[in-house]
Amino acid sequence: MIDFALLGELLPLFGEAALRTIALVAAAMAGGLALGFAMNAARETGLRALVGLYWAYTTVWRGVPFLVHLFIVYFGLPSAGVRLDPFDAAALTLAVYSGAYFAEIFRACWQRIPRGQIEAARCMGLTRRQVFWHIACPQALRASLPLVANQTILVMKESALASVITYPELTMTAGKVVSEQFVYVEPYVLLALSYWALAVLINRLGGWLRRYAAL
Amino acid sequence: MDIKDSTRAGPSGEVPMISLRGVGKSFGAHRVLADINLDVRAGEVVSLIGPSGSGKTTLLRCMNFLEAYDEGEVRIRGALLGYRKTPAGQLVRETERSIAEVRAPVAMVFQQFNLWPHMTVLANVTAPLTLAKGMPADQARSVALQALDRVGMAAKADAMPAALSGGQQQRVGIARALAIHPEVMLLDEPTSALDPELVDEVLEVILSLSRDGMTMVMVTHEMSFAAEVSDRVVFMEQGRIVAAGTPDQIIRRPEHPRLQAFLRPWFRRSLQGAAPAEAAA
Amino acid sequence: MNAATLAERLCAYLPVLLAGAAHTLLVSAVAIVAGFVLGAVLLGLSQARGGRGLLPALVRAYVSFFRGTPLLAQLLMMFYLPSAAGVELPPLAVAMAAMAANSAAFQCEILRAGLSAVPDGQIEAALAFGIAPRQVFRYVQLPQVARAVWPAVVSEAIDVIKNSAIVSVIAVADLARSGRQIVAANFRPLEVYVTVGLSYLLMTAAVFAAGTWIARRMGKGRAISARVVNRTAIRT
Repeated sequence: MIDFALLGELLPLFGEAALRTIALVAAAMAGGLALGFAMNAARETGLRALVGLYWAYTTVWRGVPFLVHLFIVYFGLPSAGVRLDPFDAAALTLAVYSGAYFAEIFRACWQRIPRGQIEAARCMGLTRRQVFWHIACPQALRASLPLVANQTILVMKESALASVITYPELTMTAGKVVSEQFVYVEPYVLLALSYWALAVLINRLGGWLRRYAAL
Repeated sequence: MDIKDSTRAGPSGEVPMISLRGVGKSFGAHRVLADINLDVRAGEVVSLIGPSGSGKTTLLRCMNFLEAYDEGEVRIRGALLGYRKTPAGQLVRETERSIAEVRAPVAMVFQQFNLWPHMTVLANVTAPLTLAKGMPADQARSVALQALDRVGMAAKADAMPAALSGGQQQRVGIARALAIHPEVMLLDEPTSALDPELVDEVLEVILSLSRDGMTMVMVTHEMSFAAEVSDRVVFMEQGRIVAAGTPDQIIRRPEHPRLQAFLRPWFRRSLQGAAPAEAAA
Repeated sequence: MNAATLAERLCAYLPVLLAGAAHTLLVSAVAIVAGFVLGAVLLGLSQARGGRGLLPALVRAYVSFFRGTPLLAQLLMMFYLPSAAGVELPPLAVAMAAMAANSAAFQCEILRAGLSAVPDGQIEAALAFGIAPRQVFRYVQLPQVARAVWPAVVSEAIDVIKNSAIVSVIAVADLARSGRQIVAANFRPLEVYVTVGLSYLLMTAAVFAAGTWIARRMGKGRAISARVVNRTAIRT
């Protein structure tokens, strides 16, 4: 039923596609984490405008499907003069999309810090900024690791949509093989295995990071 | 002091309420109970004391088959609990229904109260009556209110457990046990989860029940209370009964050296430093 | 851009978008409900024989696959593999099936977490008082599980609505696809897709508001009074 010879032949092709998926996920993660962190930091200042911005960002960006985000950036922006290639469009959109989720993760972890510690620090004369960087950050970031690892899997899954705007990652590659070679089973088997392998890899990485952070 | 005399049924020959013969239990390779022989007579209050890990809670839970014992026999009013004897003399696990029948006269009060948080206090007490015993609603309600009144919680019948203090919740737990009109009550460290100032209200209720003649087996760390309320005290260590006797013999004037060692902190606190061996006779 | 014409254009989009939205809500509703039922069934199967054996292992594999791989990949597989075997399935049916199968995996996990949130001691106490396991499930576990899982179920419903946009890829005429159709005709991708985005936002916000309102209602009616327990129990 499964042509293992064909599987072997397709392996390098899928390997390359997997690397592209990884590249996309990595870029999106870097951007998303930075943006999410910045948004949460903005919210922590307590300034009305920034808090409002935080809620607007997280509500709107998480309330719209990622596919629609992609369409707006890849098909919509060109009419406003901004033309991005598939990778840039996908990475940027995924970064800003996942940034909303990371912001919420960071918010949850920040709010889990016992109020007593913050009160103690403020009493002893630490400024809000010092409390943020020296008291809250170390603990909250450590606590956020499992949630971030979990979210990374979700980012990986959303990356599949980049195939719709023709970025040659795993899903698009599988589709190409199917339509060009008229084989159905082997490409999809490889597709499923590739994503599963990536998920395992991400979980391993997460575990390693957690152990490293526990030191 | 012969343990056997203190643990077996009295000369009247009546069937003991609970009877354990050669009871043992292991969790995997770890032997938690070994060779337990004990009778609990009607109207008696028996306290199980001992260090952590001595098996006292496991023993209590074997008495209503919340834990399945591996060896020996547990009998409730003479009826074998949890197992059925085949004609060949082997023990075979009984059905849930038969187990429920045999343990019907036994009620339990839990260390963590185990009230059902989404039901009112009254519903907590009527649920076993209506669901398990099929009692009609209005009858269940009056029985429940009686039980709640007995523990002083009738006024809180429509409250939710979360609104009550620990002591109040445990009293509701006791009412829930009383409402099924049990013949014997098992109490698993009833006050261990309570703040110190709430312990007394629960002990008062237990004491009053004992005065009414309720048969009780209680695992507890409250030594003074155990001495006050018990007819017999059983001291366990590492899954075995090491000593058994009256409160005087076991708690107030212990002779067994391991018992003395176990009770030393309590003595220190209650007799202001006098070690058990030096306690005034 | 002429403001009046923008409004006119938006009005022109409306019927197409509404038809698309109807499909989106249809697919989502089927996916959520079927996913819940299937998820509950999966959970039941996974508890068979104490969690050991082939059936629970199969359930674990199912959940792991559907939660660990992209929905798009699952949808494409379910659409193209049958055609390889010669079976032509209508896209709408495949869309509903794929989304239901996907959601079932997530809802199975949600229900499992909800069930394990009920402390063992409460179940133990109920059994010790002779309450039958079926009654324990109905009166002790179910009420608490329902309240515990509700927020997660609402969250999953919102995710399903968002994920449903993917079915546009296999030519289901949902909201996302309606957007593409309009863009193909009038070449104004930015304003059309932003409108589509805002429509999705409206839907998800409505579901969230409804979910929160129901949660508050559940919280108020928390107390299961003795009357309810007794009235329904007499029939046993």
